[in-house]
Amino acid sequence: MTTGSLIFIGLLQAVLVAALAPLFSGFARVLRAKMHSRHGPPLLQNYYDLFKLMKRQEILPAHGSLVFRITPYVTIVSALLVVMIVPILAADSPFGWVGDMILVVYLLMLARFFTSLAGLSSGSTFGGMGARRELFVSALVEPLILLVLFVMSLLAESTNLGAISRGVATGAIPYLATVWLGMVSFAFVVFVEAGKLPFDLSEAEQELQEGAFTEYSGRGLALMQWGFYMKQLAVVSLFIAVFVPFGTMTTLSLLGGLLALAIFLIKAAALYFLAAILENAMARTRFIKAPSFTWIAVGVGLLCFAFYLVRI
Amino acid sequence: MDAIQLLISSALTFAATGLLSLLLRGLERPARVVSGLGGAAASVLAFLSALAAFVGDSASLELTGFSAFGRFVLAMDGLSAFMVGAISLLAFAASIYSIGYVHEYRGRGCGELGFFNNIFIAAMLMVVTVANAFYFLIFWELMTLASYFLVIFEQEKKESVSAGYLYFLIAHIGTALIMLSFFILYQQTGSFDFDSFRNAGLPLGIQSLIFLLAFFGFGAKAGIVPLHIWLPRAHPAAPSHVSALLSGVMIKTAIYGLIRLCVDILGAPLWWWGFVVLCFGGLSALLGIVYALDERDLKRLLAYSSVENVGIILMGVGVGMMGMSLQLPTLAVIGFLAALYHLLNHAMFKGLLFMGAGAVVYSAHTRNMNEMGGLARAMPWTSFVFLVGAVAISAIPPLNGFVSEWFVFQSLFIASSTELGVLRVFAPLFAVLLGLVGAMAAMTFVKAYGTTFTGQPRSVHARDAVEVPGSMLAGMGALAIAVTLLGLGAPWVTPFIGGVAAQVANVPTETLASGIQIFPGNEAQGVLSTPIIFLLHAGLLTFPLVAVFALGGHRAGQRVDADPWACGYGYQPQMGISATNFAQPMLAAFRPLYLLRTLAQKPLDGIASFAKRFGASLPAAEPVVERTVSQPIFAFVRTVGGWVQRMQMGDLRMYCLYIFIALAVLLIVIFK
Amino acid sequence: MVTFVLAGILLPFLGSLLVLILPRSWVKATSQLVTFAAMLCTLFVLYSLGMTGKVGYTQDLLFFGDIVLYGVIVDKISALLGSVFILFGFLVVVYSGGYLSEKNRDHVEHNGVQRRYYFFLLTFIGAMAGLVMSSTMLGLLAFFELTGVCSWGLIGYYNDEKSLKAALKAIVTTELASVGLFIATAAFFVLTGGFQLSAFATLDDTIKTWLFIGILIAAWGKSAQLPLHFWLPDAMAAPTPISAYLHAASMVKAGVYIFARCLLSAGTVPQVIGVVGVIMAIVTMFYGLLMYFPQKDFKRLLAYSTITQLSYIFFALSLSIFGSATAFNGAIAHVFNHALGKGLFFLVAGAVGFSTGTRLLPNLKGLLKKMPLVGICFAVAALAVTGVPPFNGFFSKFTIFAGGFEAAKNAPLLMILVVIAILETIGSFAWLFWVFSSSVPGDSSAEVAAASDIAPSMKFALVILACLALLSGFFAMAWLK
Repeated sequence: MTTGSLIFIGLLQAVLVAALAPLFSGFARVLRAKMHSRHGPPLLQNYYDLFKLMKRQEILPAHGSLVFRITPYVTIVSALLVVMIVPILAADSPFGWVGDMILVVYLLMLARFFTSLAGLSSGSTFGGMGARRELFVSALVEPLILLVLFVMSLLAESTNLGAISRGVATGAIPYLATVWLGMVSFAFVVFVEAGKLPFDLSEAEQELQEGAFTEYSGRGLALMQWGFYMKQLAVVSLFIAVFVPFGTMTTLSLLGGLLALAIFLIKAAALYFLAAILENAMARTRFIKAPSFTWIAVGVGLLCFAFYLVRI
Repeated sequence: MDAIQLLISSALTFAATGLLSLLLRGLERPARVVSGLGGAAASVLAFLSALAAFVGDSASLELTGFSAFGRFVLAMDGLSAFMVGAISLLAFAASIYSIGYVHEYRGRGCGELGFFNNIFIAAMLMVVTVANAFYFLIFWELMTLASYFLVIFEQEKKESVSAGYLYFLIAHIGTALIMLSFFILYQQTGSFDFDSFRNAGLPLGIQSLIFLLAFFGFGAKAGIVPLHIWLPRAHPAAPSHVSALLSGVMIKTAIYGLIRLCVDILGAPLWWWGFVVLCFGGLSALLGIVYALDERDLKRLLAYSSVENVGIILMGVGVGMMGMSLQLPTLAVIGFLAALYHLLNHAMFKGLLFMGAGAVVYSAHTRNMNEMGGLARAMPWTSFVFLVGAVAISAIPPLNGFVSEWFVFQSLFIASSTELGVLRVFAPLFAVLLGLVGAMAAMTFVKAYGTTFTGQPRSVHARDAVEVPGSMLAGMGALAIAVTLLGLGAPWVTPFIGGVAAQVANVPTETLASGIQIFPGNEAQGVLSTPIIFLLHAGLLTFPLVAVFALGGHRAGQRVDADPWACGYGYQPQMGISATNFAQPMLAAFRPLYLLRTLAQKPLDGIASFAKRFGASLPAAEPVVERTVSQPIFAFVRTVGGWVQRMQMGDLRMYCLYIFIALAVLLIVIFK
Repeated sequence: MVTFVLAGILLPFLGSLLVLILPRSWVKATSQLVTFAAMLCTLFVLYSLGMTGKVGYTQDLLFFGDIVLYGVIVDKISALLGSVFILFGFLVVVYSGGYLSEKNRDHVEHNGVQRRYYFFLLTFIGAMAGLVMSSTMLGLLAFFELTGVCSWGLIGYYNDEKSLKAALKAIVTTELASVGLFIATAAFFVLTGGFQLSAFATLDDTIKTWLFIGILIAAWGKSAQLPLHFWLPDAMAAPTPISAYLHAASMVKAGVYIFARCLLSAGTVPQVIGVVGVIMAIVTMFYGLLMYFPQKDFKRLLAYSTITQLSYIFFALSLSIFGSATAFNGAIAHVFNHALGKGLFFLVAGAVGFSTGTRLLPNLKGLLKKMPLVGICFAVAALAVTGVPPFNGFFSKFTIFAGGFEAAKNAPLLMILVVIAILETIGSFAWLFWVFSSSVPGDSSAEVAAASDIAPSMKFALVILACLALLSGFFAMAWLK
């Protein structure tokens, strides 16, 4: 596809994800309520919350700094950039000529860096603890992300996400044991990155008063929440793009686009559904136990790598 | 003026500035200003000489010296010119910074500080350009000597003096190892010139011996684990602009030495050389950042972080060396490119961070992060540039740290696809290690920036802090600009450094950039475009801004409240996260690595106590030789003397008898 | 030219006679004048030799029938070493002018100027010059013995029990060792019919071996090598300028010098001498290093350091037997550089004793704060002796190691010894620099804080030596090329 059409698709992806992210998180919320035998809020509740918050007065902590104020924007921008690189609607990476999977991983790190810094900067205890946990969890999980993506890149002979996606979609990368194991590890990663229980550690509502989000209110909180939902959807779409990328369009066309969008929505919904079932079947793990879970996942990841070496 | 003339004039300017500031040592302000401006001018000359060397052909100068050990040769090929450029950039910023910063040392010898600092920089410039082993060692030790005096500058503190001693001792041992490797080359080739070393054609066993000696010799100076123990003590002890130079460029001269000797001169023929470098690099990266996390002294944290970054640079060097030995030109070029790019980047952002730490110490009079907090309000510019440095060192796009780490990843990616089994297994694991290290670095610098600049002030000094003088801000600002340009300007910087890397690896250049994209040799493998990322960051801001506007958010106001929520209790600054407990979960998770440090101390303590006991027993040994050798001899002499004495008993008649016998004997002899 | 050489040798003798005759108040000035003149003469010899392309020549002077008793040889080595010995002698005479006074808190000199001191010192300077310039074995022997007698006179200068014992120990040990030189000279005369060193090369190998053994024993005794080293630490009872001059810069170098001169004259020397030389040198080096650690007295530590540095020179000279001219040059350069560096170190010790009254290292802290000049000279001396560029010690040590590697090409086992020597350098550096690090920077101890000022003549000598310690390395290398 031409660069022009790719740019268009990329921007379109960004707009779609920005628009749909609260829908998916609302969907997860409804599922949880149903599993708790509650009626639950309406599906579009998160939209209503965001609109309401936007109009509220923002209260800033006295010692909050520049970092505190720019973090919501940074979170949104980095999530959007990730989404623009990940192949959602098209088989190619729309902004793949700007960056590859390494860039994606480090863009997620950018968001985390500023979120943690914002948590620290408010001076609030909860914010600080949330920041600390967020970075700790990322330190445990990031090697795993890199390992799985690295293996997939080696299979695709490129770090470009489009190449990986196309490789799996066209069958050039068959569903070896390597890929299955990678899928399992990466699913774990998505789970953790999306802040789902049992890893709702940094925004532990019961424990930490939302952690890094504690001191945000009004407009800032709305943007932070929105950015968080976008990040969840971005990570889910990364998973889909790497491991179940069928159905994306190869040439720019309206029908193809709509079809790709529909398939994406179904895949994402399925994943959110599975995640909801798992999430609500468990309690939040103790923070200090988190490494043991990640070690298991790392073990699976290493097994995936070992299988890659032996070419199974 | 050609490159060499510019370089020599730069070195002479540094020397002259140093002497001048020593002469002015009674007057504090002139000494500071002269030292700073002179140093800056000399740095500009050095930078121009680097440019001239790149633009023209590689320049060289030979003087048949007065010694039998070959000629005084200065040669600026691509690698030397690159190092001169890096040194001059940082020296420029540090010199400007020192104009204001040295005020902190008023009354304690500003003139001497300027003297040693300028001599130090001049020595470094010579180290990276001289092409004769004898002169290399002279300037190498001179560099260590000058920096030693800078490290012990605050001599009232015992830790500074002992840190300096440990530094000099380990550096000296390193020099001895390097000297040994040079001597082996001298023995085989009969000369000390690098040129004659290059064409030596030595047996591989001897080359490997030279490599090992040089690796550990240069490694001691670069700060690889386990020879790094001097670094966290010496770098914090020095004045901050000197710490910036020590961490930013001095340890890089060691890497230069390693590349010059093992890659350029010996040619890296065996794959396990690169693998050894890669392994030690990875180990240093991991342990460096793990220990940095634990620190609450801001400058020690930065020093350990230097160990980490040296590890990353060595990983690149190792991969490049393996590429050379496996005859894979792309791998070699990308590996060295990553190493050299990271070398330059680290010099820039670590220099910036150290200078920022110096600014903090200047204002808040403490290095302990637990006593800081809230400095962003009082020192907005300092906190901004420090944030830029912290973001850069955490390898966050689109700044420069990300670009060089991206190249390291790409080089490991290429390495994972080679035929060599060891590389196929280990290269991806090292990439994962790099990812872990990167995440921990982010954690470390969130902690460093967060506890220092944000939150509430946790001590009186922090509350009373003020912004630092303009010259300090100018120095830091120059580096912040450099950091940004090296990141955003990657498409233009990369081919440049790639050319140097190709020259080092002795292979033809690879295409590494086209338009505004950079890629590792072939576009299909992966592409990066930092200018576009930056533009996208800026452009995508419209989304949230439009959304806010559309939803009427701009009409809601803002109110600044007093304290963060503390469950209804009165908020106190100590409730915020402090430096000590920030990384506590990490410490728990990685406890074995911290135990390693304590465990390694045990044998050292054992050796120390053994040495003490041995030393105590030595005085008994002192008179042993005397008793066994001299006393028997003296006794013998005395006995003989005693016998002879008996002849002279005092009896006059015996003496007459002697005279008579003697005369008789003489008469008989004469008449015979 | 030879006139200047002779002037350099005879002027100090003249001076020592004058010291006995002239009034007390003129003694100091006369000594300084005489040594200054002698220094100018030897420097002129050095300069003119350099101008004429360093071509050496011999001139026979004293005859007995047609046997040459004494002659002068002016070549690269004798000119270089002669000039450094006389120059340092001048500086020591100047320094002594300030040191021997009532202000000296280490040894209060109540009786003012002592003729005895200057007599022996000037005689010694002349003897040293004569030794270095001598072209005959007899000349070497005669001046060798004369220096021993002067050393006895000077070690016992303070006339207390300790110094008298030390002086006796010194002279008996060195005299016993010189028996070797006596026998060698006598044998030399018998075998070659004369004393001229140039005849050395004509002898055959076995004879050379025996002669060298005699010479080595004398050299070891005079230069305080194992097992005849024990007199040197006790000889530190002498006044510090004497320790600096005799027992660091010149007298102990006499042993090394005769060895070097005979090696040069002998042409090819049997390798067994080389083997014996290197092994004894390494053993002494190591022993000296071990003995650093228990020393609390500054001068005793420096004495052991002198022992190790001398063993370096012996090491290098023995290496030259295996075919390395570089090692020989390194040895000569090290004689030159060490004289200046260690001399400076001793004079610093003297200055410290003069102003604080103590020589014990644990009591000396924070010298830089109270006495910056002394502190800086301490640093310069420590760096020069341990071999850190740009100071002089590095250049000669480097040459020695290079020579070692060169020689090891033919005899690979020598490499192990060279590596051991390098290890010893590091050990020396570690300890001496530790002493520097604990004594010079930082806060002053009580004794140092109460220190008095040092005399201007002492400052003068220290400054000149410090500058020379920086420059002499380059000069020596260039000269010996």
